[in-house]
Amino acid sequence: MGIHKVEPSDAELVRRVRAGDTGAYGALVSRYRDRLGRYAVHMIGDREDAEEALQDSFVRAYRSLARCDDPARFGAWLYGILVNRCRTTGARAARRRRMFVRDAQALDGAAHADRADRLDWTDAVDRALARLAPDYREAFLLKHVEDLEYEEIAELTGAGVSALKMRVKRAREQLQKYLREAEHV
Amino acid sequence: MFEREDETVERVIQHLRRPVAIDAGLDARVMREVAQVPREGRRGRPLWPVLAAAAVVATVLVARPWNRTAASKADTLQFVLVAPQAASVALVGDFNDWDPARSPMQTAHGAGIWATVVRLAPGRYRYAFLVNGVEWRADPNAPAAKDDEFGTPSSVITVGGRGS
Repeated sequence: MGIHKVEPSDAELVRRVRAGDTGAYGALVSRYRDRLGRYAVHMIGDREDAEEALQDSFVRAYRSLARCDDPARFGAWLYGILVNRCRTTGARAARRRRMFVRDAQALDGAAHADRADRLDWTDAVDRALARLAPDYREAFLLKHVEDLEYEEIAELTGAGVSALKMRVKRAREQLQKYLREAEHV
Repeated sequence: MFEREDETVERVIQHLRRPVAIDAGLDARVMREVAQVPREGRRGRPLWPVLAAAAVVATVLVARPWNRTAASKADTLQFVLVAPQAASVALVGDFNDWDPARSPMQTAHGAGIWATVVRLAPGRYRYAFLVNGVEWRADPNAPAAKDDEFGTPSSVITVGGRGS
């Protein structure tokens, strides 16, 4: 019982934005910021570049809202824009810079033994992820971190399901290999 | 061996699934930018001009109507647009509530030359051409309107010397 706040659906928010309520777009940004931000940070490897890609994706989506054929699936549509944007950002210098960045804040709450170990682990994972080919990294993150179905990933990336499965498998193998190497450094 | 490797990957996955702190100012930056950028269709202009990719050569032939600053109470102005592939062209602006039905342009001269005449009281008006009912076109030879809250291309005409 009591008063329950009911969040408007994506479709409702999209409808409001299309009707001229720009503020409704703020609710969509807030709704998807963190999840899409996580993907961008892991995919691009540099927080500043990732936030730029995320911001740009939100603005692009707003500009093109008319092309969102199914407003109820705004999130998936937005994901597609971000995936493309991350691709164009590419490997550039961002990934090189990543090698030297340790984000202590992101480590808060980690369940590992001690701070030094956590930093080592974070670095090892970042480095291993950075060494993956972009299409392997993309498939791995979308499948295992963002928890999307292969069919959804296929829709976002334009790749076939069997190709995606192969990429995820290779990504897993390579991550294991790179992390094993890191253990022996 | 395989079990240990799977454990390693699962540990990576759990590590990557943790929330990532995104700059709290990002929302505000997005909304600032959104408030300034054009989008396909906004209130008052229920059209989606950017979707229309029709290649239309648009040139205003009229004798620079935006420069008319005569002190007369109202000017009669002819707007002309060359749009050879257009099926329809309308003049829309502050003076007709951006209603395409009120100032349809005619192909009086053939060869895709569209024209219409409007009578405007002194003042500053924003206007545009609407091609095929979907494509907004600013007047390529007139000053662009920089204060268009709808974000679609438009131009400015000043009648009677007021405004800018």
